[in-house]
Amino acid sequence: MPRQSPNLPRPLSLSAVAVLDAIARRIRHGFDIMDTTGLPSGTVYPILGRLERDGYVRSQWEAQTTAWREKRPPRRYYEVTASGAKALAHSIHHYRTLGGRAALAAPRTPLAE
Amino acid sequence: MSMAGESSNAARATYRRAAGIVRAASLIVPASCRREWLREWDGELSYRVFALDRAGRLDARAAAAVLFRTLGAFPHALSVLRNETRLETMLHDIRYALRSSLRRPTFTLLVVLTLGVGIGANSAMFSIVNSVLLQPLPYERSEELVYMFGAFKGGNQASISPPDFLDYRERQTVFSSLAARTAFGNAVIGGGDRPERVPASIATANFFSTLGVQPILGRAFRPDEEQGAHDVVIISHGLWQQRFGEHPGVLGTSVIIDGRPHTVVGVLPPLLDRMINVQVWRPVPFGTGDTAVRRFHFLRGLGRLAPGVTVAQAQREMDNIARQLEQTYPENESWKLRLVPYRELIVGDVGRTLIVLLGAVGLVLLIACGNVASLLLARASARSGEMAIRTALGASRPRLVRQLLTESLVLGLAAGTVGLGLAYYLVQGVRAAGAGILPRLSELALDQTALFFTFALSLATSLVFGLAPALHAAKGGVSAVLTSLGRGSGGRTGARTRDVLVVVQVAVSFVMLIVAGLLVRSLWQIQRVDPAFDPHGVFTAEIALPEIKYPVRADADRFWSTLTDRVRSIPGVETAAGTNLLPLRGGGDTYFYVDGRPPATDADKLNATVSVVTDGYFETMRIPVKSGRTFTGTDRADGPGVMLINEGLARRLFPGGNAVGQRLVVDFGKPFRGEIVGVVSDVRLYGQANEVPDQMYFSIRQPGAGFGATRMRLVARVQGDPTAITPQVRVVLRELDSDVPLASVEPMEEILSGSIRNVRFRAGLLAGFAGAAFLLAVIGLYGVLAYSVTRRSRELGIRIALGARSAEVFRLVVREGMLLVALGVALGLAGSFAATRFVSGMLFDVASTDANVFVAVTLALLGSGLAACVLPARRATRVDAMEALRSE
Repeated sequence: MPRQSPNLPRPLSLSAVAVLDAIARRIRHGFDIMDTTGLPSGTVYPILGRLERDGYVRSQWEAQTTAWREKRPPRRYYEVTASGAKALAHSIHHYRTLGGRAALAAPRTPLAE
Repeated sequence: MSMAGESSNAARATYRRAAGIVRAASLIVPASCRREWLREWDGELSYRVFALDRAGRLDARAAAAVLFRTLGAFPHALSVLRNETRLETMLHDIRYALRSSLRRPTFTLLVVLTLGVGIGANSAMFSIVNSVLLQPLPYERSEELVYMFGAFKGGNQASISPPDFLDYRERQTVFSSLAARTAFGNAVIGGGDRPERVPASIATANFFSTLGVQPILGRAFRPDEEQGAHDVVIISHGLWQQRFGEHPGVLGTSVIIDGRPHTVVGVLPPLLDRMINVQVWRPVPFGTGDTAVRRFHFLRGLGRLAPGVTVAQAQREMDNIARQLEQTYPENESWKLRLVPYRELIVGDVGRTLIVLLGAVGLVLLIACGNVASLLLARASARSGEMAIRTALGASRPRLVRQLLTESLVLGLAAGTVGLGLAYYLVQGVRAAGAGILPRLSELALDQTALFFTFALSLATSLVFGLAPALHAAKGGVSAVLTSLGRGSGGRTGARTRDVLVVVQVAVSFVMLIVAGLLVRSLWQIQRVDPAFDPHGVFTAEIALPEIKYPVRADADRFWSTLTDRVRSIPGVETAAGTNLLPLRGGGDTYFYVDGRPPATDADKLNATVSVVTDGYFETMRIPVKSGRTFTGTDRADGPGVMLINEGLARRLFPGGNAVGQRLVVDFGKPFRGEIVGVVSDVRLYGQANEVPDQMYFSIRQPGAGFGATRMRLVARVQGDPTAITPQVRVVLRELDSDVPLASVEPMEEILSGSIRNVRFRAGLLAGFAGAAFLLAVIGLYGVLAYSVTRRSRELGIRIALGARSAEVFRLVVREGMLLVALGVALGLAGSFAATRFVSGMLFDVASTDANVFVAVTLALLGSGLAACVLPARRATRVDAMEALRSE
């Protein structure tokens, strides 16, 4: 089922906003996102999966050479897509304008700095 | 995995643990994306662990945090799985499954009922086997408990004498605790106007602690209470409830037992009520009266093995002690102890019956699964068109498989529900019907493992065979199936599988019918055996005289002569008498020899049962007198000793047929010399299925003959319902002596039929299972043929169009069906010869190859097989040639 109409996407969940916001601020690896948002891995990874499915983020594997240099396997990193940025802005706006009620329940990470 | 060479041990260990968690979680992830998924977790984990390590911050807390975070791999994996299999799809499949099940109500009902019956019967049967055979007894470390019989040359189910027991207890080293109690016995509680006879036992002080049971109120017997006579009593939980209203103040109160006041010192837990049918426990008075005599054997031992000791080791030590005792005491010649694991004693020979029944019910499930498989295969062929169309419209194979799985699951769940209900009622039914046949019934409950197991098995059946259409659709390719659509064709392989299933079903039900037939025939044979007395219309009741009031035989004689006189005057009573040995109700035996021919060795000793009877006993029971006479008023206490023996004994002792007038010397502690004045028929004392023992009868009036006569049975021949006279007998008894209770009122007919209750139970259950298997097999055959006729309607139509006559078409179909039946019967015959050997021990007067049974079962199966063929065959003759060809 379509989750968003192209013009007026449904606002993301607060956790998803937190994750997307972190990625937008160039915190791009799964574990780092958890550290920043304070959300557990069992929440962050399913959100990442959904965001990627809906086209808000895309993932890539870091260059093999970097990993080789540090003698470890390559990491996956995420980037916000254009529609992801739009959805993030829309969602933040949505929660702000709806008043404090929902925003109060926002995750520990402040949405706007 | 790649690993930084300079990393610490702690880092490597943390990484290994985390990687293990991730790998376990990865099993949830669909295989298509598992590799990527693992790589991502591995990349993050390595980076994190070794970054922490390099910074020197990988302490225990940090490692734990990493591991905790790794646990998120499970929800992550589940979310991937969810995304892959959409919920909507599943709901859609379920809806579709329900719709398609409801569209074919007959099919659905058949599958659900067939599997439901299989699941229910199996779970119930397994629950019974589990709680009776497999579960340990409800005592602490019950596997250590060992029961002890006395054993001598003449038998191995005897008892142990108290002095022997004390010697064993003192000398043994293999038991951590060795106890004993009497296995039979009763006591009269009360006095006043409500005397009550209850099962009672005398036990050693350590009996309860050996079992591992504590009184819930008060205490167990103290060791000093088994030395000399102590009037203390421990009562069962049941007695405490019924007679004392569960009042805790019962401790220390005085209760009249067998005419003497006893102090209640303890109340036992309800558990013991379920395991041992004794309501009154008293301590063994070692060293007094009978308990001081080494020749009097009346205790049974119960030991708890010391840690690490086996039953065989314990038996060896007991044998050694027995040999020592034999040397010291000549009367102990050949006496030993026989040790039996306690569980084995309680479960007894029910085990084999249950295993046979479990096997039978397993076969029913097998046939049920076969039928369901057959039904589903038939439907698979019918649905190959549907599948082909769906494939052509773009449904992927996994999608079809998922949908069919859902359908099977829906069917399976429905069957499981039916099975659960059925199993519940079956277990309840067995609890009600099995009383007195199955041990440990009170522990019986529906077994969840069994339910789950059979449910899983049935589900697997429906899954495997339900998937056939999907496999079918993919195998031939869409176009192949589509072109054959509308021709009413189906895979020949499916049909072949169904043929094999029918052959196996017929074979299995053949074997079951044979076994059931043999058991039913045994039952019939047993019932035809003449017990040598007429049980119809005979009232029986137990009457025990308090020994304090009736110390000598003359007192008992007087009581009985008045009692029988007064009972005889009750309207409807024809005759009445008393005996201490009612058929099927216990009794004792002793040694004897023909006067003038004393036995040279122990091995030559002769042994026969001892019945002490009043005048009129043989007339009341209608035991035929073969020669001589029965007891009369002329046989007096001070007159010459007289006795009767049974025909079999007379024939063996005096082959010339001149038994009457001969004299026997019988050992009643003191030798009793008696003249044989009569010979009576061989009474089936131990039931119709058992051998006739040698029997001796003595008159209650001759005090030297027989054992005590205080515990006897009243028998009265009554017109109409024998128990109808119970109130009048009670009145007569109360007038005579209000201390004497009337106990165990049973019509003789019931006692007799009760003796073959387990035979009947076994035969009935097995016949039921066999009948179910038979019915399922016939339904299966019918299904196969009906389907075959549908499948071949085109061929049949062409035959008819080409001029085949109805009779020929009819024969064609019947031949196809009967070939399967014949193959099944042949296979069943082979199987029967193997199976019947297993039950030969349960047969009575029937050979395990009994021709009657084999012929009857063969005919029954062939006949009903033929009947199952007729309907489809008749339909075949009515195939419209034009209709069949038009679809071409």
